Amino acid sequence: MKLFGAEQERVLGSLYGAEAAEVYGALLRSLSVVLEEKVAPLSLALDQGKEEIDKPRRVLFEQGVCKLPHASEFGGMGLPFGVYALAMELAGAADASTAMSLGIHNTVADAVERFGSPEQKKRLLPALLSGKKLAAFALTEPSSGSDARAMHTSAVWDGSQYVIDGSKMFITNAGEADVYLVFAATATGHGAFLVEGANPGLKVGRALKEKLGMRGSRTAEVRLVKCQVSADALLGKEGAGFEQAKQLLDSSRIVMGMICVGIARAAYGKALAYAKGRELFRKKLADMQLTREKLAAAAIETSAARLLCMHAARLKEAGKPFSSEAAQGKVLATEMAVRTCDAAVQLFGGYGYTSDDVHRHLRDARLLTIGEGASEVLRMLIASQELERES
Amino acid sequence: MNIVVLVKSAVDEAELRADTAGHPVLKGAATKMSNFDMNGVEEAVKQKESNGGTVIVVTLGGAEAKKAIKEAMAMGGTRAVHVLAEPPDAPDSLGTAYFLAKAIKRLGEVDLVVCSEGASDTYQGQVGAMVAEFLDMPFLAYAKKVETEAGRIKCEQGFEGGVRVLEAKLPAVVSVVSEANVPRYPTLLQVMVAGRKAIEDITMASLKGDDYPETGMEVLDITLQSANRKRVLLDGSPEEASRKLVEALRREGVL
Repeated sequence: MKLFGAEQERVLGSLYGAEAAEVYGALLRSLSVVLEEKVAPLSLALDQGKEEIDKPRRVLFEQGVCKLPHASEFGGMGLPFGVYALAMELAGAADASTAMSLGIHNTVADAVERFGSPEQKKRLLPALLSGKKLAAFALTEPSSGSDARAMHTSAVWDGSQYVIDGSKMFITNAGEADVYLVFAATATGHGAFLVEGANPGLKVGRALKEKLGMRGSRTAEVRLVKCQVSADALLGKEGAGFEQAKQLLDSSRIVMGMICVGIARAAYGKALAYAKGRELFRKKLADMQLTREKLAAAAIETSAARLLCMHAARLKEAGKPFSSEAAQGKVLATEMAVRTCDAAVQLFGGYGYTSDDVHRHLRDARLLTIGEGASEVLRMLIASQELERES
Repeated sequence: MNIVVLVKSAVDEAELRADTAGHPVLKGAATKMSNFDMNGVEEAVKQKESNGGTVIVVTLGGAEAKKAIKEAMAMGGTRAVHVLAEPPDAPDSLGTAYFLAKAIKRLGEVDLVVCSEGASDTYQGQVGAMVAEFLDMPFLAYAKKVETEAGRIKCEQGFEGGVRVLEAKLPAVVSVVSEANVPRYPTLLQVMVAGRKAIEDITMASLKGDDYPETGMEVLDITLQSANRKRVLLDGSPEEASRKLVEALRREGVL
């Protein structure tokens, strides 16, 4: 399957103009060739636990995917966020687990770039953007996911250092990461702390292997037991942690939405090819009216989800508020991906139900209606912003 | 070492569609650098890396050829020359070789011209040899290994059941096969930088002299072969299905 085609070229052209679209198109076309040849062939084995994620993730690091949206001062490429978002769609189509692992890693890089001190940026950004260091985002807790403000993890200043205690749950890249962005309650609100993976107070639980999907990525609990970090581990100001998390998640939701566009395209591409070849009642499956309804719905919804996510990306690039649009894009894209991947299983029939290579897309998509803001919580956020707008 | 690498913008065969009469739909068809040319560019860049110098990407084609040039530049080209040739004025193989050779002569001293075994769309494999003739250089064809040292080039040329070793004095033209190397994947940064590099455009009229060979070979027709798949599903246990597969392959004469 061609990951980058005319549909994305047209989106680039309409959003960025012909000249810039040519430059960005060349980048994404080149990336898609590498993803098709080096990442997509590993995807099924990753789902089946027969391949390690480090291999495809390294390909994305070497290509420079993480560098796309970051400033050139610390090794980034300074390109529009939407170009990065489209790159993540391609990565999601090649392998959802790898794309998610990288996307979350890059949210931490985003955190350092936005809120970090000059010293933190210098120390961490080049290593994070090149992939020399891997990062994890530790916000969710066993008893607080969507209600992140209710976190129990605490960071107490003992006069010379912070001591962090608590537990973080469902942490992507846990056990592999070199640096963890840990959110904790402090005396003045919440704080975000950059904790080294080698810190003896940071303990990683067993990998959660019973996951429905995204089986290629590593997920585990992270415990912080009298975890001592110096003052320079604090990202930005103490008390700003919750606001930082909200801002980071706004951007990350665009990325997760685009990964889901990629997942849907991967499943849709397989179903389309199957429908063209499969015969029943002396007709091709693709010639059945109800099949065409499914294919058309998938095409409409994929385009709509991509455009809404890209609209949020363009607002972000322009420095305008985009929190509601990012949430809308994520809700639409993730729920669309579940519907599209389910339709793909249906079109394949028994072969879809019994084939990892078909139903894994549905299993992968299912996570993202929960992670990075569950659909229900995002609907609350969207509605509250609508109500504020009307009043 | 001044190295020229010849590339061609070819129709992306993976996206090629046929009309109802079986003719390829070339208008608006997606293009890219010919697959084989990736080996040519890789070889040129490898030679530059071990000997120093420059890699000049030279192509002849329409506006779409800029895309192929940028792909080659991203892999390590130093600069690029584009001989503009829009259909219906695009020349045949001999004319193409003539214009490429004229463009190369303008570059001054060139030590090595690298090309691939043929283009992935037409696969005529003529241009490299003709360029060598126009430049009055030796042509080392189908090289699967290339070494350059002290003003000489040494190549291994594979043939069925053996290897022929060729050597010539530089400057020379060499065509490489896909065994010669593994083309590198440019990083996104390299692609971006390549996209911003200037490309020198040259018209055919500015290169054409009295010595232009008017051969006028025409391609009269192109049809695509279509293969209908049988799509036979074999059911039963793995043992039964394997037996049925062997029987089916025997019936088809495959085994």
